[in-house]
Amino acid sequence: MNVRIWVGGAIVVAIVVAAVFAPQLSVHSPTRSSVDFLQGASWAHWFGTDDLGRDVFSRVLHGARISLVVGIGAGVVATVLGLPIGLIAGYRGGKVDLFFVQMIDLFIAIPALVLAMIITVMVGVTLENLVLVLGFVSWPTVARLVRGQVMNIRESLFVEAARALGGRAVWIVWAHVLPNIMRVVAAQFSITVSLAIFTSASLSFLGLGIPPPTPDWGGMVRAGFDFLSINPLISLAPGGAVALTIFGFYLMGSTVE
Amino acid sequence: MLTAIVRRVLLVIPNIVLLTALLFWSVFSLLGTPVEMMLGRDADPATIEALNARYGFDRPVYEQYLSWMWNALQGDFGRSYVTRQSVADAILPRIAVTLEIAGLAVALAVVATAVMNSIPVARRVIGSANTGLSLVGITVPNFMLGISLIYLFSVQLGWLPTTGWVDWSEGFVTHCKHIAMPVLTLSAFFFGSFSLVYRAEYRSIQQQLFIKVTRAKGLSEWGVSFKHALPNSIMPVITYAGLSLGQMTGGAVVTETVFSVPGMGRLFVDSITSHDFPVMLAVGMIIIVGVVLLNLLADILYTVVNPRIRLE
Repeated sequence: MNVRIWVGGAIVVAIVVAAVFAPQLSVHSPTRSSVDFLQGASWAHWFGTDDLGRDVFSRVLHGARISLVVGIGAGVVATVLGLPIGLIAGYRGGKVDLFFVQMIDLFIAIPALVLAMIITVMVGVTLENLVLVLGFVSWPTVARLVRGQVMNIRESLFVEAARALGGRAVWIVWAHVLPNIMRVVAAQFSITVSLAIFTSASLSFLGLGIPPPTPDWGGMVRAGFDFLSINPLISLAPGGAVALTIFGFYLMGSTVE
Repeated sequence: MLTAIVRRVLLVIPNIVLLTALLFWSVFSLLGTPVEMMLGRDADPATIEALNARYGFDRPVYEQYLSWMWNALQGDFGRSYVTRQSVADAILPRIAVTLEIAGLAVALAVVATAVMNSIPVARRVIGSANTGLSLVGITVPNFMLGISLIYLFSVQLGWLPTTGWVDWSEGFVTHCKHIAMPVLTLSAFFFGSFSLVYRAEYRSIQQQLFIKVTRAKGLSEWGVSFKHALPNSIMPVITYAGLSLGQMTGGAVVTETVFSVPGMGRLFVDSITSHDFPVMLAVGMIIIVGVVLLNLLADILYTVVNPRIRLE
């Protein structure tokens, strides 16, 4: 299982480096168009150019930024919402638990992409909205996982000992429960990031993502669709990049099932 | 068991009401009334008010929700703003298309999962290959897989038509050629997630006594795998399929868009981009209700089939 963390981690690190150093790594501007449109791969343009003459390689590199920001942002939002709810529901039990479980079941039934589509069209697409929407869509999964973990740990001897010593609930959760579920929460965070990148790429493929000219993988795949027979890399390069990113994050998170 | 099922069924009703009300309310409060949407922001407020009153959009939202629901239950979803067609007429043929594609994709994925993960030769090699394949199936987005297939089979090899749709009546072979890539694209994700569930179950079944008994009686490895281990491992996959249907609708939406398949998902995307309010509302509602009901069905099926839960 350790292999998965290393391979996934290496992929994620590579993508992060590409995102951070995108301006240094690319020779051409990702948004400036030129007359050399729809060229195939060459030494000057590694992935060729798109229909507006923009360098596809630099666009793919710069596209990593939006994907990472959206994915990690959504992961943070989902964890900030889901972790406390899962902790309270799992530790308290009883009526509180019943209420939260009903809420989790209610929201978990909603298809993420469909909800995200409706919300983005209603509130308008901006980076902040995208992060909030995708985080909101994924919190129930986090909450359900945390709840299950907490319910197991609550019954263990050291928690009972802490309770017997007169520890208050907040202290027990903070000092005894939380450290024991951190591994699972971290793994789930990674999975949430991968799913959020998946959904946001699908959204922008459908034309509901960050509007152009910002380089964004899903939108680039869509735009290159019409030129598949001339320069397939306009679509396939950003598509491959998004698949690799999702794969990396998923692999890192899949170590804890 | 009956009380458990009845309780579960009764819980679904408030869930559906709550979710649909939430959708209705949010669409209304955030998008404004259809009149405002159609006339735009610069329209004369008096005209908007008059039209709102004429079509009943000035009533309280809950009243409009109730009347919408009442009409919907009788099969009347209003008319599309874009095509003026009755929404029910527009949706019906599309439901059939989506169900065909999705049904075939799920069936293909279940069969592939069961067969590929049960082959009793070279377990280690096939096992790692299946793990790799299912990881790829889960993580490669539908649009990327779809476009790669189009590039390979249509642009490079020229075997299959790129996109579009040909009905059954216009020729069976052409129909199959058109649905081949969408079905394959959609089933890749299903295969990935089913495979993970199936393998876990299959491994634990392998440890059980009755498998050892069949082996001791001299049944071949193929017989043990396919006759005894497979039927006992497939049930969780079917429940899982029912429970994860919600997340799978997203895949259908994207796949239908890539291949220009005239299904529900495509209709939903079109209605959103063209702000076609009644269609968007109707398709959104149908998807939500459908997902909730299918989840319920999977739950009940699980209770009926699994004796351990039945006794509780």
